[in-house]
Amino acid sequence: MTTTALPARLIRWLLVLIAVVISLFPFYWMLRTALAPQSQQLADGLGFWPSHLDFGNFARAWDKANLGQALLNGLIITGAILLLQLITCVPAAYAFAKIRFRGSGVLFGVVLACLLIPTQATMVPTFIGINIFGLGDTRIGLVLPFYSSAFGIFLLRQQMLAIPDALLDAARTDGLGPWRTLLRVVVPMSMPSIAAFAIFSVFTHWNDYLWPLLVARSPDLATPPLRLAVFQQADIGFDYSALAAGAAIVTAPILILFLFAQRRFVQGMAGGEIAG
Amino acid sequence: MTTVLDKPVPSPAAADTLIDPNRTRATPYVFIAPAMSGIGLFVLLPALLSFIGSFFAIPLAPGANWKWVGFDNYTSVFGDPAAHRAIENTLLYCVMTIIPSLVLGLLLALLAESLRHGRTLVRTALFLPMTANLVAMAVVFKWIFALQGGFANQALAWIGVAPINWLNDTRYSLISVALVGVWRGVSLTMLLFLAGLTTIPGAIHEAAAAEGIRGWAKLRTLILPMIKPTIVFATVLSILTSIQAFDQINVMTQGGPQESSETVLTYTWKVGFSYFQLGKASALSFVLIAVLIGIGLIRRRAFSAEQR
Repeated sequence: MTTTALPARLIRWLLVLIAVVISLFPFYWMLRTALAPQSQQLADGLGFWPSHLDFGNFARAWDKANLGQALLNGLIITGAILLLQLITCVPAAYAFAKIRFRGSGVLFGVVLACLLIPTQATMVPTFIGINIFGLGDTRIGLVLPFYSSAFGIFLLRQQMLAIPDALLDAARTDGLGPWRTLLRVVVPMSMPSIAAFAIFSVFTHWNDYLWPLLVARSPDLATPPLRLAVFQQADIGFDYSALAAGAAIVTAPILILFLFAQRRFVQGMAGGEIAG
Repeated sequence: MTTVLDKPVPSPAAADTLIDPNRTRATPYVFIAPAMSGIGLFVLLPALLSFIGSFFAIPLAPGANWKWVGFDNYTSVFGDPAAHRAIENTLLYCVMTIIPSLVLGLLLALLAESLRHGRTLVRTALFLPMTANLVAMAVVFKWIFALQGGFANQALAWIGVAPINWLNDTRYSLISVALVGVWRGVSLTMLLFLAGLTTIPGAIHEAAAAEGIRGWAKLRTLILPMIKPTIVFATVLSILTSIQAFDQINVMTQGGPQESSETVLTYTWKVGFSYFQLGKASALSFVLIAVLIGIGLIRRRAFSAEQR
């Protein structure tokens, strides 16, 4: 590899640099707009840096869009979904990966099929059903449809396949029942993929917009993206400074989570290795 | 060793698996029941009901009866120019997002993999779009694409090009929302491809180097065949993401102007939840699914003909 010619390496770096700039630019532009005084929004033009910093936009966004409440709602809903998905998907993945039982092939086929069904094919009946049971405009209505995840079963199973059978046999001869085997052997060994799936689930449901837009009619229930979208469509009009500040507030928690958990996430999604 | 241990050893420790074989046999079903009930109730059943519902007039009021209308909802979809537009736009959006996402994602994964320094930093930067809140980023992109004062037009002015009305011109609105889709899509496919590339054993790279296979030849004859499962997975995921694109369209253009960026999902939304024609909304989804399956079949046939 050391023999790669210098021009080739330069071109490689140049391409990478362009990609990184494009990838990060919207984030930079968000912060730049959020930190510039509202009055300078248009005047600063292409300036790389705002003429002076102004944190008032964040306060304005926080108050006007009631983001504190939205963040709390987001936390509760995302947390509840995550907890339920872990409780349902981990045992299911273990059963599909390591226990032989009648119909497992067919049932796993059902899981795979569910991965391929797009939202628009399920949206209308789910919405009607949630309303029939009086769960429209409730937190339960926001959480319930996601208490299980086909993707979760799929991803976790992929990784649990790699657990050596000998280990499970040893657990059985040690007198561990299926539940304790699951909790004491399988879960610790699958931690990388469980972590990856947890992060994926948090991303998905923190960022979800379509379902809350349908279900959460009262403003008190709004999740962060929903609140931001409403804020954007309201009479704020061209107050891009406050909008960008709001966008930054909504984006920040997930971004920070990703920066801390990136290694785990990438490893877990990569699949294969069981060692942490 | 394990074969010996596999046999039921009458030791007190193994007692609980031996005494009650029925419980053990039921265990896997107990394990999968909660998860399967979830996807059954909220994926399979709705999909089925949606299909059945596409033959009915569905009132929104709970308890009211569905009325059988046969193919009326489908006729209504076929006779609706806006629905045609939505299907056409969805397919265009798919072409504009899936192909660049896959090609650029693979290219960037190969580039990021080949770096000797700063690899982690580059990866983190390229992964960020995937994690970002799409509504928040759409708000930012709306500002970037703003006719006046938006960065895109200022950059164009800088190189002497007249400003473009990105979001309110029927010629550009779909492209604008697709650009956001690509920006995000590349990030996801790159992650998948990087994961796929790490599964190639180092020995393969060494052998290739020893044989003098490099560059394009190495990519085509070695790397691509080895990451084929990843390619399939990334393609399927990209298709699913693209046909379900909603957030940035809803925020940036609301499907407009004049339905120029209306996709099946945004239009289904309008038909279902603004006009309350729930049966027609379901029919529209299944027309899209039928079109996608049709394209898949044609492609497969064309592909197998090529092979012969």
